[in-house]
Amino acid sequence: MSVIAKGNFDGDLRLHDLLTGSELSRLRSAIEVILGEGTRLTDEAGEVIFSIGTADADPGRRRVALRIELEPVGYIEANNSEERLHAAALLIEQILKSSARYHMASKLHLEAVHADYEKLQQKHEALRESEVRYKALAENLEERVKEQVKTIETAQRSLYQSEKMASVGQLAAGMAHEINNPIGFISSNLSTAQSYVEKLSTFNQHLCNSNDVSALRSAWSQSNLDDDLQDFPSLLQESLDGANRIARIIADLKVFSNVDGQEEELADINEIIRAMCNVSAGQVKQHAQVILELGDLLMTRCRAGHLSQVFLNLLLNAVEAMDVGPGEIRIQTSQDGDEITIRFADTGSGISEPELTRIFEPFFTTRDVGQGTGLGLTVSRDIIQAHDGRIEVSSQLGVGTTFTIHLPVRE
Amino acid sequence: MAELDEKNNKLAIKLVYYGPALSGKTTNLMRLHDLLQPDLKGEIMTLETQNDRTLFFDLLPLGFRAPSGLLVKFKLFTVPGQVAHDGTRKAVLSRTDGVVFVADSQRTQGVNNAESFENLAANAARVGLDFDRLPLVVQFNKRDLRDVLSEEEIKTRWQDTKWPLYFSAAINGNGVNDTFQQLLIDVYKDMDRRYGLQSEHRLKQRDFVTSLMTGSVGSGRACR
Repeated sequence: MSVIAKGNFDGDLRLHDLLTGSELSRLRSAIEVILGEGTRLTDEAGEVIFSIGTADADPGRRRVALRIELEPVGYIEANNSEERLHAAALLIEQILKSSARYHMASKLHLEAVHADYEKLQQKHEALRESEVRYKALAENLEERVKEQVKTIETAQRSLYQSEKMASVGQLAAGMAHEINNPIGFISSNLSTAQSYVEKLSTFNQHLCNSNDVSALRSAWSQSNLDDDLQDFPSLLQESLDGANRIARIIADLKVFSNVDGQEEELADINEIIRAMCNVSAGQVKQHAQVILELGDLLMTRCRAGHLSQVFLNLLLNAVEAMDVGPGEIRIQTSQDGDEITIRFADTGSGISEPELTRIFEPFFTTRDVGQGTGLGLTVSRDIIQAHDGRIEVSSQLGVGTTFTIHLPVRE
Repeated sequence: MAELDEKNNKLAIKLVYYGPALSGKTTNLMRLHDLLQPDLKGEIMTLETQNDRTLFFDLLPLGFRAPSGLLVKFKLFTVPGQVAHDGTRKAVLSRTDGVVFVADSQRTQGVNNAESFENLAANAARVGLDFDRLPLVVQFNKRDLRDVLSEEEIKTRWQDTKWPLYFSAAINGNGVNDTFQQLLIDVYKDMDRRYGLQSEHRLKQRDFVTSLMTGSVGSGRACR
C-alpha cells in the first residue's frame, strides 16, 4: 500500500503521492510491454517519474496528459501509435483514480479520527478539570464540615452552660432554704437575747436606786431573771452553731461554684465530694440516702470546680434513677498506686443495654423534653478525659447503675 | 476556506451538499454533472456502500478560467447523511465556502430535516465556520413525490430565516440548477470581497455563474 501523503483530504493530488513503491514498479513493467522503449512518465511539471530505455528528447515522441480531476497531474510520452498511447493513458488514469479514491478516503478518515481524538482529548481535559474542581470542593467540604462541627460543639457547650446555670439556680434555691433555717433561729434567739438584756438593764436601775436588799431580791425573782440567765448561754451557743453552719455552707458553695477559668490546683478529691454532697443535700435527701465511703487519697492536681460538676452530675443522675422510691447512693473512693478510683453506685432503675451504649453521646437523653439536654454525661466524660482519666459505666435494669472514674494522681 | 494559489494562479472553492440521509445530495451532484457545461468538468468520484448510501463523500470537480487567466476550481462534495458518520461529515464540512442544505420534502421527514440542520449548524461551529456568514441555500427536494409538505407550509416554516429557499425534484433535474446558481451568487460575493474577483481578475458575478452553467466566459467577454 502506498504511503498516505500529508495535507487535507480535499487538497490537490499529485502523481508522486498516488504512485509509489511496488505499484509504480508494476505499472512500469506493464507500460514497458505496452509502449516499449523511449517511454516516459512525468509529473505535471515535467519531472520524470520513470523512463524506459533511452528516453532523451525525441522530436517524434507523442505526449498525452493524465487527469484525475480537472488539470493534468502528469504526462505519458512514447514513440508509439496514438491509439496505443491513449489506451495506455486511460489505463494509467484508471489506476490513478482508484489510488486517488483510496487516498482521499484514507485522509478523510484520518482527519475524522484525529478530530474525534482531539474532541476526546478536550473532553478528557474538561473531565480532568472538573475532577480537580470536585477535589477542591471535597477538600473544602471537609474543612466546612469541621467548621460546622466546631460551631455545633460551641453551641453544645453554651447549651450545657445554660443548663448548668439552670442547675445552679436550682441549687441556689436549695441553698437559700439551708441558710434561711439557721438565720431564722439565730434572729429569733437574738431578739430573745435582746429582751433578756432589757430585763437586766431594768433590774440594774433598781440596783442603783435602792439599798433595800429584800426589795431587790423580790424584784429579781419577779423579773424571772434566774431562768433567763440559765437559757442565755445555750441561746448564744445555738446561734453560734447556726452562724458556723452558714459559714460552712458558704465555704462549700465557694468550692463548688469555682468552675470557670480556674487554674489547676492541688486538691483533695474527698473534700470536693463532701462539699458537693453538702451543697446538693437539699435536692437529694428526700429521694436517696447518700453513703460516703471515702478512703485515704493523695492530694492531686486538678480543676476542682470541674470535678464538682462531674460528681454533681453523677449524683443527680442517680437521684433521677430513683423513680420507684427512695434508694441508696454509695460514693466510694480509693487509691491504688498512682490511680484514684471514684465509684458512684445507685440502687435506681438501671439503664437498658441499648441505651447504655449511647449515654455518653451528645444530646442523648431519656428524659422528657425540657428536663435535660443530654449533655451532662458527655461533658462529664470530656472533663475526666481532660484530667487524663476515664469513666466507665455498668448497669442492670431494676438493680442499679455504677459509674466508675479512674483518675491518675498528678502532683 | 478557499485559497488563492498565486504561484499557480488558481482559486480552489469548496462547496458542500449537506442534509439528512437519502434526501438526494448525490442525485443533485449527478444531475449537475449532466447539466453543467463548464470549460473544465471532471468525473464524479464516488465512494458508496452497496446500498447506494454515501460512505465517505462524492466529489464533482468543475472549473473555468477567469479573463485574468485565474483558474477557478470548484470541488462539490456531498456528506454522508447517516447519523453515525458524523465524524466524516464534520471533516468534509471543514474549510467549505458554501453549503446547499438538501431537505426531504416528505411529511415523514420533518424531524430528520430539523436534526440534520441543527447538526449542520453545530458542526459548522465545531470546524470553525461562522454559520451566520456562511453562504447557504436551503433546497426542499423530492417535490415529485406524493405526501410532501406543501410549498406554502414550508415557506411559512422558514419565513423567519434569512436563507434562500428552493424547491426541487433532483431525480428529474428540476430546481437543481437554480439552487446551485443561487449558491454561486452568494459565494461570489464572499470571494469577491476577499480576493477582488472583479477588480483584480475582471470576473463579474454574472460571468462567475454562467461560466459554470454554460462555459461562456467568452461570451461574457464579448458582451462588454
